[in-house]
Amino acid sequence: MPEGKRKSRSQRRVYVRTPSSKSVLHYRARKPSKAVCGTCGAVLKGVPRETPAKLSKIPKSGRRPERPFGGKLCSACSRKIIVAIARSE
Amino acid sequence: MFEVGRVAVKIAGRDSGRKCVVVDVIDDVFVLIDGDVRRKKINAKHLDPTGEVLDIKKGATHEEVEAEFKKLGLPVWNKKAKKVLSKPTKQRKVKEKEEEKPKKAAKTEKKEEPKVEVPKAEPKVEEKVPLEEKKEDVKKS
Repeated sequence: MPEGKRKSRSQRRVYVRTPSSKSVLHYRARKPSKAVCGTCGAVLKGVPRETPAKLSKIPKSGRRPERPFGGKLCSACSRKIIVAIARSE
Repeated sequence: MFEVGRVAVKIAGRDSGRKCVVVDVIDDVFVLIDGDVRRKKINAKHLDPTGEVLDIKKGATHEEVEAEFKKLGLPVWNKKAKKVLSKPTKQRKVKEKEEEKPKKAAKTEKKEEPKVEVPKAEPKVEEKVPLEEKKEDVKKS
């Protein structure tokens, strides 16, 4: 019988084949949801879907696009905002 | 679409939101830009034109663009200097240590000289003593 914390399905279940050809059940942490644009809700490209512990091992430039609003807005929405800022000056 | 000298705002890539100037028009698609951005060939779709036009020649150098941007009071992108590798500096430190050793020896020689002066001061005290004795002699007499 699994432990209480493992019955709640907060961790995902993975069947792993061992060297002795047994299949055993492993429990792994679930990944967070995909990053989405703050205005249009589109899934962001160039933003890895990893747990915070793994993200800290990735360089900062690998975690989000290197442009203003990178990792917060999609490229189309950020372009609209940058043009609006430039023309308001 | 873009003529040489047209000031524009870059709206794509890591330099987006920064001002630049068209230095060269390569064809109807690509232009060469410089200013507050990395100097490079880009698609003209990635630019948003402004009303300003600078007086620069076709293919102007970065220094010429920098001088024109200073008149407008705009910042200019400049490459950061590369850091020197750590290995050669370590080798230099070893050489410095070898040079320091003779210097320390020279300092110790200098310290010996004031020591010689100290015994010179002592005989002066001895000279005073006989004077006092003489005075006492005078009083006694």
